[in-house]
Amino acid sequence: MAEIEITSADFEKFREFFYRKTGIQFEPSKRYFVDKRLVERIEATQTQNFRNYFTTLRFEASGEELQNLTNIMTVNETYFFREEYQFECLVNSILPDVVSRKGDNGPIRIWAVPSSSGEEPYSIAMYLLEFWAGINQWDVEIISSDIDTEVLAKARAGLYSDRSVQHLPLRLLQKYFKSTGDGHQISQDLRDAVDFTRVNLADRGTTRDYRDFDVVFCRNLLIYFDDISRRGAAETIYDALKPEGFVCLGHSESMSRFSSLYKVRKFDEARVYQRPADSK
Amino acid sequence: MAFVKVAARDTQQDTANPRALEYDALELQLHDESADVRRWAARDLVDCPSASRMLVGRLHEEGDASVREVILTALTIRGDDIAMTGLVECLRSEHVSLRNEAVEAMKQLPEKMAPIIRELLGDPDPDVRIFAVNILESLRHPEVESWLISVIETDPELNVCATAVDLLGEVGSPAARLPLHRIKERYADVPYIQFAAEVALSRLGGE
Ligand SMILES: C[S@@+](CC[C@H](N)C(=O)[O-])C[C@H]1O[C@@H](n2cnc3c(N)ncnc32)[C@H](O)[C@@H]1O
Repeated sequence: MAEIEITSADFEKFREFFYRKTGIQFEPSKRYFVDKRLVERIEATQTQNFRNYFTTLRFEASGEELQNLTNIMTVNETYFFREEYQFECLVNSILPDVVSRKGDNGPIRIWAVPSSSGEEPYSIAMYLLEFWAGINQWDVEIISSDIDTEVLAKARAGLYSDRSVQHLPLRLLQKYFKSTGDGHQISQDLRDAVDFTRVNLADRGTTRDYRDFDVVFCRNLLIYFDDISRRGAAETIYDALKPEGFVCLGHSESMSRFSSLYKVRKFDEARVYQRPADSK
Repeated sequence: MAFVKVAARDTQQDTANPRALEYDALELQLHDESADVRRWAARDLVDCPSASRMLVGRLHEEGDASVREVILTALTIRGDDIAMTGLVECLRSEHVSLRNEAVEAMKQLPEKMAPIIRELLGDPDPDVRIFAVNILESLRHPEVESWLISVIETDPELNVCATAVDLLGEVGSPAARLPLHRIKERYADVPYIQFAAEVALSRLGGE
């Protein structure tokens, strides 16, 4: 096959399109990363050149190729107990606050978006079982979502590499995982504890039904967005939360820089954001 | 008690935006009693061809800050003439929070703000010019420094110049040194300008 070329104009077109679809902003410095993946998909789909491929991407009714491409364009880096201080904050400060205001016996609802391959929501489940006495008293619903269908399949399968689990205390690794020939299989109980779904945080259609959460984790996604998409994500999360519900962002992310919807809550373990109470 | 699952909605594909037919309903929802409903309506109106006017109209009546924020985002995303004029109009509002919220929203829009900034910096109302300088504070645009320099060289109002001098200290380069010295001379008897220009000069370096 002849060499497939992605021109600067192609890159610009693609960049704008992908940004509108996903909120993800590729800086010109990411050109190599993007071009390489585009060429890979042009070859796989036998569309021969960027123009044909881009047409498929835009007009294909099933959206299948857009999904394939999204799956290889996303950065899915994650591991168990990443930024653990926030889980400490969850069990020691956030959940006690949530429970103290809770007016019914319904489940406490947690949304972890993006899930990537599941290390984060499973860490939350483990943390609740290990370090939160309230788990004996309350039902908890954990939903975790990502735009990437491949990582969602991995998350549901729950099979992890040594690298993924390297920050887990040995005791927990032994308790919740079984070593298999090719990695660490997380227990069925934990797999049953988390519901994985596909959500595009930049698409109102897919997030519309996500409501009434007490806590949302949105860590290490907004770094890939530009400020306008971040504002949009902040609004989506706001509508997904109950009044006075909490949001935890990644340690390098700050809501106050682009949104004034939330109050900052400083707990001993971490600084998190809170949707204000509804005004009367 | 334990972990439970209540079948969350799983959408395999991004769903289409509201259809034209639904726009009338959205307009009603934009005036609903519940702020939750109004916020969603404002978000959905982003794709409605003629929504800017509706959104701008609502913005000035809206009492809930969260709904205003969402409307401002919708207008910045739309970025058409009516939306941009609507945003600029907020700078003249008597409503202090709305003014500040609009400034925050406009800071996110470097490309769309560029042509408007020039106009705002020449606005007859000095308050509007001060807001324009505030917008420059985090507008990542290559011309920010030259706009600020032209403010301190030409703006007749002391307070506007003072705001620009402060900001030059943060975002300026050695190119701002000469203009800063000139404004020090121009306002030789105003201690605040002397002080602010000194601070700015010491930060710029390049002597
Ligand atoms: C770096 S991982 C973060 C995973 C985890 N939250 C953590 O902090 O370890 C970023 C994830 O965001 C997902 N993502 C990117 N754009 C998204 C969007 N628009 N909606 C939902 N997820 C998205 C990617 O697929 C990727 O799995």
